[in-house]
Amino acid sequence: MHVVITGCGRTGRALATRLDAEGDEVTVIELDETAQRGLPAGFRGRFVPGNGIHPRVLEAAGIAQAEAFVALTPNDSANIVSARVARDTYRVPHVLARLHDPAHAAVYTELGIATVGSVQTTVNRLIQLLHHRTLEPHQIFGNGETLLVRSRIPDYLAGRRVAEFNVPGEIGVVELSRAGHSSIPEPSAPLQDGDVLSFIVAAVSLGRLRSFLGGKWS
Amino acid sequence: MRIIVIGGTGLAEQVADALHRAGDEVTVIDTEPGRESALAKVGLRAIYGDALVSSTLEAAGALKADVLVACTRSDEDNLLISLLAKKRFNVPRVIARVNDPASDELFNQSWGVDALVSPATSLVSMIRPES
Repeated sequence: MHVVITGCGRTGRALATRLDAEGDEVTVIELDETAQRGLPAGFRGRFVPGNGIHPRVLEAAGIAQAEAFVALTPNDSANIVSARVARDTYRVPHVLARLHDPAHAAVYTELGIATVGSVQTTVNRLIQLLHHRTLEPHQIFGNGETLLVRSRIPDYLAGRRVAEFNVPGEIGVVELSRAGHSSIPEPSAPLQDGDVLSFIVAAVSLGRLRSFLGGKWS
Repeated sequence: MRIIVIGGTGLAEQVADALHRAGDEVTVIDTEPGRESALAKVGLRAIYGDALVSSTLEAAGALKADVLVACTRSDEDNLLISLLAKKRFNVPRVIARVNDPASDELFNQSWGVDALVSPATSLVSMIRPES
């Protein structure tokens, strides 16, 4: 896969290095020519100095043949502009951009560009680690309002029924894994020691789910 | 006419001031903090803010503006401001400044730009009209 990356800072460099190691063809575009020195010694990819919003620079990087484009400069505007040019002018199939200021999220959304939000991702992860220590989210939806979490059912909950965990608008049991087999359980199904349940849960109700798993229903 | 000028540049300020003197209703969105009071002193309505956030454009009156001038020092900002002005606020005439002539070809209708001002390109074409 030929991947064009703009921005040779910490993230751009790390992604370029990793893709190169995995056998992808990588071209990095960066305004600062001296940033090339930051790339590791055996890097086989190309380095194109210049501004990644400029069509001539993108073309020099082989954008017309690229299968993916990733905008990772520290400048949200430059990331949005280059991502849109890559997608609309050069028809690059996979376009991703980094978002720094969450206030700019609406512009990315309006243009339909998939983003990796550094601030939002970091905050979500920190909240997870601080608040939901025992409940590891498998998937986070929206801005973290809704989560999919899995938890092993402790022995003291054996005999409880699936329905006891369901709270409309807050918690829903969506899956049950038992002895290596997964199913969508009936609300009346009794639980056994060692079952693993998947819950869809509102972030505000994580405390409640944690209480349930701790055996407290009041 | 109701005109919004965006940018913390001398050019933005001079354009805003001249239009204001000519009798237009001008609002400046200053992207560099701390100068609103200086602009207000000469009678210009000025707000400070991030013009890439639509609430800033709305506060400046984008819904009713006849003309918007994107005149910051950043070509990417000028392109996005033009796009927001056209797509979200349907501003009838959007004029954008090009800072780096290498960006010239981007400034077109696909970014909501009706007209562009590219000082370097204009100067070159005066000297070499054929190029």
